[in-house]
Amino acid sequence: MASFARPSLLRQSLAISRSPLRQNVGVSQAVAFHASARKQILPPLPQRIDGNMNDPVPVPSPKPTEGSYHWTFERAVCVGLIPLSVAPFAAGSLNPVMDAVLCTLLVAHSHIGFEAAIVDYFRPQRVPKFYSFCQWLLRAFTLTTAVGLYEFETNDVGVTEALRRIWNA
Amino acid sequence: MASLRSTSRLFAAASRPLFRPAAFARSYATVEATQTVEPSPSENPNMKTFKVYRWNPDTPTEKPTMQSYQLDLNKTGPMMLDALIRIKNELDPTLTFRRSCREGICGSCAMNIDGVNTLACLCRIPTQANSESRIYPLPHTYVVKDLVPDLTLFYKQYKSIKPYLQRDTPTEDGLEYRQSPEDRKKLDGLYECILCACCSTSCPSYWWNSEEYLGPAILLQSYRWLADSRDERTAERKAALDNSMSVYRCHTILNCTRTCPKGLNPGRAIAETKKMLAA
Repeated sequence: MASFARPSLLRQSLAISRSPLRQNVGVSQAVAFHASARKQILPPLPQRIDGNMNDPVPVPSPKPTEGSYHWTFERAVCVGLIPLSVAPFAAGSLNPVMDAVLCTLLVAHSHIGFEAAIVDYFRPQRVPKFYSFCQWLLRAFTLTTAVGLYEFETNDVGVTEALRRIWNA
Repeated sequence: MASLRSTSRLFAAASRPLFRPAAFARSYATVEATQTVEPSPSENPNMKTFKVYRWNPDTPTEKPTMQSYQLDLNKTGPMMLDALIRIKNELDPTLTFRRSCREGICGSCAMNIDGVNTLACLCRIPTQANSESRIYPLPHTYVVKDLVPDLTLFYKQYKSIKPYLQRDTPTEDGLEYRQSPEDRKKLDGLYECILCACCSTSCPSYWWNSEEYLGPAILLQSYRWLADSRDERTAERKAALDNSMSVYRCHTILNCTRTCPKGLNPGRAIAETKKMLAA
């Protein structure tokens, strides 16, 4: 009998203890925001567990070109950019080869960085079309940047000289 | 028991500011030692508000709410878990949370307290009575009820890294697998992890990509077996991590290291894993 009576008692006490909160909902807007369901940008899907509770998640097949090689390349580009962006100004001399290497690394660096952001935020499982759209958009931008830099280097003064002139202007 | 608790509160950070000039500290200490008189709870209550995230799966259409509870800190133990247990015992038995060991070794009571993922049993109640404490479940987890998160995926990911010694060759003398003290030292700071999921659920990368990215806790455990000199499947373990998602969604945000209630460094373990994979 007690077990029958108890849930309803609990519910009553809960209702009583919750009622002051209901009146204060307008006061605490932060609570209302956090507890609200109106987050329309990529709302989380209902939970889905693949397979048995005791199954491990599937282990992806090794792809070093997207994993360790990619990471090593990315780090090499990052480290290489530091001396390359300092050297022309420190040496005070202009060298088209140095300029070309600097521009190549800059384009590669920005491409890798934006690609990481796309992979992070637009998962192909969740938004496959938007994911590939972003990837192609990034490729288009990278290509445009590369062509623009090439034109700038061959037909104009080049990145290093332009920076120097802006700095000294 | 009650008297024990309140004296421990007196000796704890009850009236001690965090930083105090050393000159005053000495004199204060003696004053405090003489003032061990227990304040009677009724005449000088030290009330504090706890706001706790509530969501009941029995009424799924109701939005989650923050429910306030008032507790007298003089009658409560020093830790957040003491406060939660007291709320459950005396104020509201419907409040649901996980707890077991109350000393930071089981990892059950991981939750988000005042914006930081931590174990409730290792988190002191801030003694400013005027400030309120907010208690949420671990962020970006599917909530089972109130403060109980669903960690199924977390455990499935843990299982996928094969967290056990893998060896084919027995030792020469047929006894146990031994290692040098130097090799053993490599496991310090790794074996202490209790898998409370505080670090993984504080990682923005894990928030977005928890299906594929393993998260700091699992990667720390993975490195624990990569660094073990007795394990013979290092190449296999490395191959399992060598893809774009498993490890390399870590962008060195280091929320994991900042939040770890055991003071471990998952960020360093991931960095070592990346170095091992690159080599």
